Amino acid sequence: MACTGCALLCEDIEVRDGEVRHACRIGTAHILNRQQIDPMVDQEVVDIDDAIRRAAALLADAERPMFLGFGNSITETQATGVRLAEKIGAGIDPCSVHTSLIDDIVHSRVKTCTLPEVRDYADVILFWGADPMNTHPRLMSGYAYYPRGKNRQHGWETDRTAIAIDVRRSHTASICKEMYEIVPGRNIEFIDALMLALRNKVPKTVYDSKRVLKLAGTLKKAEFGVIFAGPGLVGSVPRGAIIRLMDKLNEFSDFRILPLYSPYNLRSIAAVDTAAVTTATTVMADAACEHPGGCTPTLASLREADCLLCVGFDLASSLPQACDIDASIIVIDPSETLTAGCADVVIPCAAGGVDLAGTAVRMDGAKIDLPCITKNGQTGAGARTRVSDASIMNRLLEAV
Amino acid sequence: MPEIKFDQFLAAPEREIVIVRYHDIFQTEAALKHGKFSKEYQDLSAVIVLDPVDMKKIDAGDGDPVKISSEYGTVVVVAKKSEGENDARANAGHSGVGYMPASVWSNILAFGSTPVSAKVSRSQQKISTVGELTRIQRLID
Ligand code: SF4
Repeated sequence: MACTGCALLCEDIEVRDGEVRHACRIGTAHILNRQQIDPMVDQEVVDIDDAIRRAAALLADAERPMFLGFGNSITETQATGVRLAEKIGAGIDPCSVHTSLIDDIVHSRVKTCTLPEVRDYADVILFWGADPMNTHPRLMSGYAYYPRGKNRQHGWETDRTAIAIDVRRSHTASICKEMYEIVPGRNIEFIDALMLALRNKVPKTVYDSKRVLKLAGTLKKAEFGVIFAGPGLVGSVPRGAIIRLMDKLNEFSDFRILPLYSPYNLRSIAAVDTAAVTTATTVMADAACEHPGGCTPTLASLREADCLLCVGFDLASSLPQACDIDASIIVIDPSETLTAGCADVVIPCAAGGVDLAGTAVRMDGAKIDLPCITKNGQTGAGARTRVSDASIMNRLLEAV
Repeated sequence: MPEIKFDQFLAAPEREIVIVRYHDIFQTEAALKHGKFSKEYQDLSAVIVLDPVDMKKIDAGDGDPVKISSEYGTVVVVAKKSEGENDARANAGHSGVGYMPASVWSNILAFGSTPVSAKVSRSQQKISTVGELTRIQRLID
């Protein structure tokens, strides 16, 4: 079975007698627990049919509806969500700083690879603004560092060089052979310095130029280099900077990039080829603009909407300031979220890969089947059978 | 009559820092296991990891509540001294930068994922709850 605890979608999961095998801490907690919530309208518990009817009425009346999330939904739900968005003229914002990089990967503006290719061929691996030990706990052991691969028979000991570039000495950084510490907000200067160093020029920079030159030397010698780009990188530099860096690296060696984000099916929704899906300036990318204080467009773009549909995305947790906006809020989520506490309509649903079968796209583009693990998303007593978000979306589509 | 302490009318020393968010596997696990309103989640989220140099400057000890204010909001969280090999050192090498787990406590200050400037000082107040920060209350028991 597959785990939908993060975008790695590990496929070797076994669940027997309420015990989860092979999953990491996040995966185990994701599979076994669910903070289930009742359907609600105006914060009062109602029948699920009433909640769906109310949501349909709000969406039908909305003049400027906006959908947020879908990264934690199976592909089938996303497809119906896109049809619903197109029918009522809503935009879909996956609310991730990674959507533009996914767009660049899907449209071959940067070179990428699959996770098995990382395992078989990668010799230089960069974790940039990423801490997979805390976000994708099985990445290092499954693909990126420890395993032996076709051309990397000696694994991490001699065949791979892992390098962390981050604002913080993370757990991942402590495992890597080298760590480059970024001054908060100054990732772009590190990229500029590295680009110069790649051309054998000594960069004038706030960073230690000798070390930057050493890094450039290591990257140039890479046979198969991979950058795992975390939110600390993609959320803090302009989109074009990553493309330029990848182009420069590929003048000297063979470098690929893979985005490291958590929502298990973000790649699928970000790659949907429709005007409805925003990939350029998402709410979160806006929020992560480089200059603290220059971020007001974020709430402004949300404030333009008169109805927000949050699907598997906790807006109030990511942008607490959004609690005060005037738009009506509809939440569809397998778990209790903070947003549910300020929503006009709350519709609980089944969780993809847990009590709902479907498909998803892994972070490297591989299509993964998600069988059902449990019947009701909760292994203990008091478990309830839950409606799939795909069927909720279908009913909304029919009703509006 | 309540006891009056001499220093209670003095402003606590303040320090300008940059807040950087990070992800913590135990905190993610707590959110999934116990929910985002739980004490377990709060204990792992309402935290700022500070360099011993900054702790000293604001006269705060490990585990003390500290108030953090940015242009976007204010929270009271627990101060934690940089851990691991840095424990014994007077300087953990990140003076001026405070690390907070990604959660509503840091998001209310950071307005997205960008680093943000804030002022930190020791506080006598209780640790902010989700309800106080967002005016949202738990819907389930
Ligand atoms: S690494 Fe991700 S997909 Fe794999 S078990 Fe952990 S949470 Fe699940």
